[in-house]
Amino acid sequence: MEANSVIGTVNKKGQKIVDPEYLFFEAPRQQYFMTGSEVVREAIRRASVDISVAYPITPQSEAAAMVGDLYVEGYVGDYFRGESEFAVMSQCAGASFGGARVFTTTSGPGTLRAYENFPMWAGSRLPILINVMVRGINSPLNIQPDTLELGMILDTGMLIWHAETAQELFDYLLKGYIVAEEPDVHLPIAVVIDGFFVSHTKDMVMIPSADLALTPYNPYRSPVPCMDMEVPPVRMMRDPFVMKSNYISYATHASWQQEIRAAIERSRKHTIRLIGGLIEEENSDADILIVSSGTAVAQGREAIRLLAEEGIRVGIVKVKTLRPFPHEEIRQATKNAKLIFVPEFNVVGWMAREIKAVIPDNHRVIEGPHVAGGMTLPPEVIVEEIKKVLAGKKEVVHG
Amino acid sequence: MGKEKIKICEEFYDIMPPEYRELVDSSTYGKEGRGWKDVGVAKELIEEHSLCAGCPESIAFRYVLACLPNPEDTVMVGSTGCTSLVFPHVAVHNIHSLFGNQNAVASGLKRALAHRFPGKVKDVVVLAGDGATVDIGLDMTLQSWFRQEKFLTICFDNELYANTGGQESGLMQKGFVSKMAPAGKKFDKVRLPEIAEESGCHYVATLTVSKPNRVEKAIRQGVLIAREVGPTYIQLYTPCILEIGKQAMEGLQEMRDSEGPNERFAFKEYISEEAKAYLASLEKEKKPAAIPTQG
Amino acid sequence: MGKYRVLPGPEAFLPPSAACAGIVLPDPGQGHINGEIVHEDVAMEEAAKQFLMAKVPTVFPGPLVLWNWNEKAAKKATAIKALYDELKSHNPGALLIPMPDYRPKYPKINPEVEINPNHPNLTIWHNKIDVCMFVGVHCHQANLSLKIIRGGTNCYTIAMCAQAGHEDAMLSFRDATPEKIWKFVEAVRKAKASGVYANPNGVTVSKA
Repeated sequence: MEANSVIGTVNKKGQKIVDPEYLFFEAPRQQYFMTGSEVVREAIRRASVDISVAYPITPQSEAAAMVGDLYVEGYVGDYFRGESEFAVMSQCAGASFGGARVFTTTSGPGTLRAYENFPMWAGSRLPILINVMVRGINSPLNIQPDTLELGMILDTGMLIWHAETAQELFDYLLKGYIVAEEPDVHLPIAVVIDGFFVSHTKDMVMIPSADLALTPYNPYRSPVPCMDMEVPPVRMMRDPFVMKSNYISYATHASWQQEIRAAIERSRKHTIRLIGGLIEEENSDADILIVSSGTAVAQGREAIRLLAEEGIRVGIVKVKTLRPFPHEEIRQATKNAKLIFVPEFNVVGWMAREIKAVIPDNHRVIEGPHVAGGMTLPPEVIVEEIKKVLAGKKEVVHG
Repeated sequence: MGKEKIKICEEFYDIMPPEYRELVDSSTYGKEGRGWKDVGVAKELIEEHSLCAGCPESIAFRYVLACLPNPEDTVMVGSTGCTSLVFPHVAVHNIHSLFGNQNAVASGLKRALAHRFPGKVKDVVVLAGDGATVDIGLDMTLQSWFRQEKFLTICFDNELYANTGGQESGLMQKGFVSKMAPAGKKFDKVRLPEIAEESGCHYVATLTVSKPNRVEKAIRQGVLIAREVGPTYIQLYTPCILEIGKQAMEGLQEMRDSEGPNERFAFKEYISEEAKAYLASLEKEKKPAAIPTQG
Repeated sequence: MGKYRVLPGPEAFLPPSAACAGIVLPDPGQGHINGEIVHEDVAMEEAAKQFLMAKVPTVFPGPLVLWNWNEKAAKKATAIKALYDELKSHNPGALLIPMPDYRPKYPKINPEVEINPNHPNLTIWHNKIDVCMFVGVHCHQANLSLKIIRGGTNCYTIAMCAQAGHEDAMLSFRDATPEKIWKFVEAVRKAKASGVYANPNGVTVSKA
């Protein structure tokens, strides 16, 4: 049951179990050109996953089916198709309560059908990894990329990491398990990508050998008893009702909820070590900044290049983790900015709200540009928005 | 985990409250042929409960726990309702997650335990009310049977939503007047036992808890067949005396009145051919896990 | 706004969790005192001092050490009992009170003989416990208890944690093994032998 006792051993599939840090930072990697779905398959191949439950919904169906192939090949312990996302997430919960490392995927309407499970996962301290490939939410029916659902899961108690590229997707899937399963964290984690843009396009990815695998999950380091009748106390309900109408039971519930948020905060230390900070900055000393997450950042980068050609210097701050939200990092990175643009792939601008809530002088935040419903966000549109605002400012300045 | 691991470190034995010392000294973990006759004699696996005085569900709960063939390696899954007031005090690991998802949770749990403990018996037993089993959770109840998930589903059928104050449920009798059925229920009691049979359950039993021997036999068969063959379902009538206007001492009579030959809880049992063959093999081998004869 | 410090309460109607107030857990080899990271040996000395100066020093063993479910648990139990014996010989008022499980056993616990994570303050209040140590409690339940205690009582809390430690305690160790608990027993013996800490209850102290 010792965490490190399995390192160096060989699993049933013949993969060598290696120190996670070795797998992440030292093991030789080879370059591949593959889709996001294939990247998911390759990450899970190395993730020592015990159970995965799948359900079809575009755009995550392909990745979910590929995990099934891994099960047939013997890389994943058990795998089946559930009957709906609500059921799937409950099946994942059951497996996690029973001490398994669990993987699943979902998208858009599936995320919402599953929704009741997410705060339950967090409250029950279940370190399930869910790969959310965001898409539009009905109605009207929309299967295209849109990040609206992401704004809706921010406060479920899950860790939420937003990958920009296929490479980050690969790394976050493996590193996500290690952070989420730390005993002081032990929370579900959503590794998010923008559907289609990342899931269905091919990208260069550096991947270590398939002969290596992540250390398996050790349920006996959990901050709550694993439900396998192998750990005391035997008189144990996960999770007990504290349902008396009095101050004490309310205080227990309140403390329990605080503990989930505390666990999110504790993940910072582990996350920074593994993914190198909760944000990433480029030219963040510029007067004008673009701050966002996911594919919007990739588009922002191209906009910066176009603006630089015209002599306008713009920096960028990429938010890698939405929970924990890097409030102090964003405050610091934006402290000299005069204008902060927040491009987003959704109609409401939840990322702009998040940023405005944590920085001083938040009139500096320009909410947008926004696209939605599957529209692309051409860099030129970001350029145009920035130039328009700059022109407006000049007019004001010059009276 | 085996009875030998359910013990107190000797340094702390004398400071443990008595109910924990009794749990170690005189409970029936690991006891051959444990059953309902241990109730009130040996230390029970329910410490206390907050159900209403005279509630038939409480005795049903005690019988179920007394009759599990393998409590030291059994994990239970419950759902929201009166049962969830009891579960915190039950001395086998048990899970409550959401209302109605119990068979989905049990599916994942059973597979996790099978994967983690190959070659070792780890029983999973679902115990939920009729609202959870038949209404909000029906999809997941049936799908777990379609998939042939290997665990026992027990439904405590009190024919209404008791814990929320007596609303109509799918297992309520037609015509019964209740909250949310102000003019009487308009459709028949859902025939889940028949549906269970059609859905792939290998053992289905419908009964009240008036006859503990019968309950014991059903529970043991339900667990053992689920372990070796496939899904099993037991529907137990546990009337909510509060909501049907009975007194605390009238629960037993209510159950007796409801189990006559033409009544809705007349004892019925279905055993698939595969399960029959398995039970016959148990008899033949006279395995320790053999079913007690009905007395 | 100054840096948050984890101090004995009663702190607030609903105090913040220390992690959300910026307190970070120690790394291996370290402990924390009031949220400040220190070398583990420093934390040992401080914890020993707190225990010896207490009127009612109390050890709360949890399920992971009360139940003899593996060899390590049994070894920890022996070390914990030795710790309690050291405290008791210094101060006859010392207590050893179990947390047998985590169920909301309400309102029927006897606060004299047990502690429950859903209302740990009842046990603290009833026994007038001024310094306590949690050991063998699952981390989630320990954090709930420690925060509720900080919210409503003036008890000084110490956590001997087998995992990453507890920032909701006033002092915490991490990675507790039987050996580490024995090391703490030694720290208490040494502090006793120094003669600096008189038994606050004024009872004659036997030489260790």
